[in-house]
Amino acid sequence: MKSKKIQNGAPGPLGGRRKEFIREMKRNKGLYLMCVPALVVLVMFCYIPFAGTWMAFTDFNVVDGIFGSKFVGLDNFKYFFSKSSMGWRVTYNTLFINFFGIILGLIVPISIAVFFNEVRSKIFKKLTQSFMFFPYFLSWVVVGAIIYGFFSTDVGVINNMLRSMGLETVKWYAEPKYWKGIIIIASMWKWSGYSSIIYMAAMANFDGSLYEAAEVDGASKLQRILYLTVPMLKPTAVVLTLMSIGRIFYGDFGMIYGIVGNNPVLIDAVTVIDTYVYQTMRTLGFSYATAIGLFQSVMGLILVTVANRMAKKYNDGEGLF
Amino acid sequence: MRKSKLFSDHLVTWFAYLFIGLFGLLCLYPLVLTLSVSLSSEHEIVMHGYSALPQKFTLNTYIYIFANSGMRILKSYGVTIFVTAAGTIGAMIITSMIAFALSIQSLKYRNIIAFLCNFTIVFSAGLIPWYVVCVNYYGLKNSILALILPSVFSVWNMFLMRTYFSSISPSLYEAAKIDGASYLLIYWRIAIPLSKTAVLTVGLMYALQYWNDWWNALIFINNKDLFPLQYYLYTILSNVNAISSGRVPSGAAAGIALPSETVKMAVTVITIGPIIFLYPFVQKYFVQGIMTGAVKE
Repeated sequence: MKSKKIQNGAPGPLGGRRKEFIREMKRNKGLYLMCVPALVVLVMFCYIPFAGTWMAFTDFNVVDGIFGSKFVGLDNFKYFFSKSSMGWRVTYNTLFINFFGIILGLIVPISIAVFFNEVRSKIFKKLTQSFMFFPYFLSWVVVGAIIYGFFSTDVGVINNMLRSMGLETVKWYAEPKYWKGIIIIASMWKWSGYSSIIYMAAMANFDGSLYEAAEVDGASKLQRILYLTVPMLKPTAVVLTLMSIGRIFYGDFGMIYGIVGNNPVLIDAVTVIDTYVYQTMRTLGFSYATAIGLFQSVMGLILVTVANRMAKKYNDGEGLF
Repeated sequence: MRKSKLFSDHLVTWFAYLFIGLFGLLCLYPLVLTLSVSLSSEHEIVMHGYSALPQKFTLNTYIYIFANSGMRILKSYGVTIFVTAAGTIGAMIITSMIAFALSIQSLKYRNIIAFLCNFTIVFSAGLIPWYVVCVNYYGLKNSILALILPSVFSVWNMFLMRTYFSSISPSLYEAAKIDGASYLLIYWRIAIPLSKTAVLTVGLMYALQYWNDWWNALIFINNKDLFPLQYYLYTILSNVNAISSGRVPSGAAAGIALPSETVKMAVTVITIGPIIFLYPFVQKYFVQGIMTGAVKE
């Protein structure tokens, strides 16, 4: 197909192509016009900002502007990974929270989908699914309020429970060490209902005759789950996991800020790259913050490309995007 | 042998009920807790802590909030409703148009356009350049447009819609074209009416996104009159005293000291109220959206 096109434009490849371009634009004018508003939004908010990444290589000041400020090469990046900065710390936090998020995000939704399938009562199914899906509809600020209800030192549910069991209470909001865990569990709580629906969608397409055959052969329910359902869910799980791995360098700003907010005691323990960029933008300047953001984007691009390639290999040529 | 197998099957079933039931409760419990605390008396909460049943049922907290910050909350509601409505309509028009165009097989450059969309998912300039451009060139600081424009087009939702549009038979379009209809007319008269579910699903996803958004406000908005509901809640949670800085309290609520615990939960309830109310009606569309998104074309 492609080589044929070039032959057609043989007399002057460029001129031919331009003619073809104009002809195509004329023929489908309406359709291309329909793409324009979306493309304008993308150019405004995604493509034009790329010019601003130049700030990462300068010592930006407002007077000289983006391209007039002094060029400093990779100094901003060097500082990010020097001992005096939080660079390694925030990278570690991001990867840690996302890694355990991915693990829980596999185990819990798959368990929900598998066991949900074993439930026969329609009313029970309807009710529980409504409950489990609901957290997805809440913003992280609301989740933050709920977490406060659980972990508040004086009135929180958890401390109440500890008290009634005669155990010592914990000043949760003064102990940074718990918060990575709390955030990972909160994320699991918010997303499990949502993710389990994806697995249920996959299960709806399973071949029922396989299960009948297994039943005739005397396989128990547990065996059917372990040797039929779970292996058949694997492709979905692999694709979803690769997608998460592609985004492992991206923290969830809303989640961290909604739950921990500006709490100075806790924020260092859970700061991820995204929130760190926001903090440094106000303290250490735009150039440095831009450099961190660029580092994150480049790492993200590399990982997404790798994940996409792996997905293609696994999925017979169909990638994530 | 046969009997023990039956027994193990029963065990699996019982465990399934237990597991699903417990997880369902785990998701429901925090909401019940929030609601009941907001309806409790502050004194009891301070004495006994949060509990799933209201303690000394009272509406005092809500009365206090509306007496002190009623206008503030109404304004925030107004901002959120406006942003949600305008944003969702704008987003739907923009998204459905490009999704329709990219679903037409004969569109020659559709892969290039799709790539331009996809690329923004995998690579971005980062927060700071985006912020600088928005503030310095588009003048979005303290503008209500800052709450709408940055999220008016989601590539994910676009591909979701395209999947729906692609399932419409092209022969329908061909017939209309022979009758002299333009693509715009085909889009409006054929594609959209045939994809009502998709329009509803994606529209609701946008609406939820706008309703729950507070990060754009955190970045762009200092003006209290433009605080959306979620961001208002965020400020209340980080500084509960903000609630009493409204106008001078009057009437019944004047004598009440700031009920700082119950206020937090009451504002939370006020924020999620419409979602709770609409949830039973919209849930199935979201489920549908997720399922379509999961089954890739």
